[in-house]
Amino acid sequence: MMGQFVANNLFHRPVRTLIGVLAIAVEVMLVITIVGLTSGMLRETAKRIEGIGADIMIQPSSASPMFMFSGAPMPIKIGEKIQELKYVQYVSPALLQFNTSGGVEAIWGIDPVSFREVSNGFVFLEGHDMQGPDDMLIDDWQAKAKKVNLGDKYNVLNHDWNVVGIVEHGKAGRIFVPITTLQALVGAHDKASIFLVKCTREDHTADVMAEIKAILPSNKIQPVKEYMSLMTSTNIPALQTFINSMIALAVSIGLLVIFLSMYTTVLERTRDIGVLKALGASKGLIVRALLAETTLLCLLGIFSGIGLSYAVRAGFLKLFPTLSILITPGWMVRAGLIAIVGSLVGASYPAWHATRKDAVEALAYD
Amino acid sequence: MGITVTIRTNSTGQTEPEIKTLEPILKVENVWKLYHAGKVEVPALRGVNLDVLPGEAVAVMGPSGCGKSTLLYVIGGLATASRGKVLVDGNDLVAMSDAERTKLRRHKIGFVFQRFNLLPALSAKGNIAIAQYIHGDGFDPHRFEVVTKLLGLEGRLSHRPSEMSGGEQQRVAIARAIINEPKILLADEPTGNLDTKNSEVVLEMLRRLNKDLGQTIVMITHNPEATTYFDRVVHMRDGVIVDGVPAD
Repeated sequence: MMGQFVANNLFHRPVRTLIGVLAIAVEVMLVITIVGLTSGMLRETAKRIEGIGADIMIQPSSASPMFMFSGAPMPIKIGEKIQELKYVQYVSPALLQFNTSGGVEAIWGIDPVSFREVSNGFVFLEGHDMQGPDDMLIDDWQAKAKKVNLGDKYNVLNHDWNVVGIVEHGKAGRIFVPITTLQALVGAHDKASIFLVKCTREDHTADVMAEIKAILPSNKIQPVKEYMSLMTSTNIPALQTFINSMIALAVSIGLLVIFLSMYTTVLERTRDIGVLKALGASKGLIVRALLAETTLLCLLGIFSGIGLSYAVRAGFLKLFPTLSILITPGWMVRAGLIAIVGSLVGASYPAWHATRKDAVEALAYD
Repeated sequence: MGITVTIRTNSTGQTEPEIKTLEPILKVENVWKLYHAGKVEVPALRGVNLDVLPGEAVAVMGPSGCGKSTLLYVIGGLATASRGKVLVDGNDLVAMSDAERTKLRRHKIGFVFQRFNLLPALSAKGNIAIAQYIHGDGFDPHRFEVVTKLLGLEGRLSHRPSEMSGGEQQRVAIARAIINEPKILLADEPTGNLDTKNSEVVLEMLRRLNKDLGQTIVMITHNPEATTYFDRVVHMRDGVIVDGVPAD
């Protein structure tokens, strides 16, 4: 009976219910999408780094796991020292430059020869490797997103590059240019952001790392295989704060809408509450009925929000093919729980307010 | 205190009268109800005394603002008396907590209102069944069938209040009020929003409940004709009962 009463109350005012469901759905969608976007981008970046095929990465001690924010504080000659170490097969320097003109992009300045050695080369879908100082390679996702074709000019960092090859995605970055040209463009002569090291055998990685540590004690030296585990929001400065802020914002929206919705519900049902009291309904029963209604509203909102998240992801990926949004069951559950807790908090005052209503006044309410 | 006389047959086959005294099911003793308008106390009831016996049907009449509805709400435990005693089936409402009064209302009192006060989101069946749910014994299909049949609601049970006439709504409200077999049925101007024909139907229903099932009823009314359906008429004026005469 209570279930029927709650459901009927919910559907008695379909527009208000729809608005409530929509508010919860947006809250859930925001949480799922924001977390999915950040974790998706991190995971996708990590996969691309793993996809290079190197065994060890060398970065400055204060470097961010997000390479493109690291600058270029390492002399490129470090590479020569490392190359001399036992069990080191190849070393490739890379200069990463963050570009915000026309979108957020990481430009990889690479030495085509050593990068090919470390990574076993690109898979070319069209064109060929870089040969001239202004040549550029881009991956297929970037080409699709930016509608760039082989042979086009592509302006990055106020420089016109010749797109000479389109490569399969999944290796390092999406845009590659010669390191020397990029060094000159950004004023980082003979500098690199990162060194990628390929060992003669994978099981020599620990030994090589120890040797590198001996000659570069202040640098960050880590196996590429561990990079995936480092690419979490908690390891990226301010990212977790950003995510928490967004979740708090989403929860605030949901909480306020539910508060307003349930408060107006209680006002509108003043006489009904008086009737329930006249029938002998306890305060607990009235509170339970209102909170059950909120929970049902919330569940509808959660399921709609999950659906909306997939729709938003599909829309985003259509508009921005290089984005990666990772929707996980874990975060669906967490977003749902956040929405339920927020909604119940939002409905608590209206429910308490309902129990405080004077029955005689409630029955006379118009 | 009331007296009933029952004729019974003894073991030798002879008839003999058995005399029993009846305790009032409702006893109102010197009840005052004061409202506060700022610092001013406004008395709505000024020492009301009223006894209602089990199975009695009492109509309370009086001009608007004389305290009839306040008396009904005090009797029903929806409002508390400022002074005096209100005994419902031996329980003093004035001495009870809000939760205790709620429980007593749930088990011993049924309300019928002038404006029907059905829950708009529920069907007629839902409106009646929710009273059973609140009562705590769950849905009793047998009792439900008896009551809905008695009130002629069998064909209207799936309809919502907005789809029913005033008379039908009031019959649903009566069904809701009596579904849990309350000791007292309190009706606040039950015909106030009805036309003459529907008023007669509702009053006849109340009369049958009283005569056939022995339901104790206290009804507030403005309608002099309504009083002809009741055993006793009580007149109120300025917060006090001014007389109490049996109806013809």
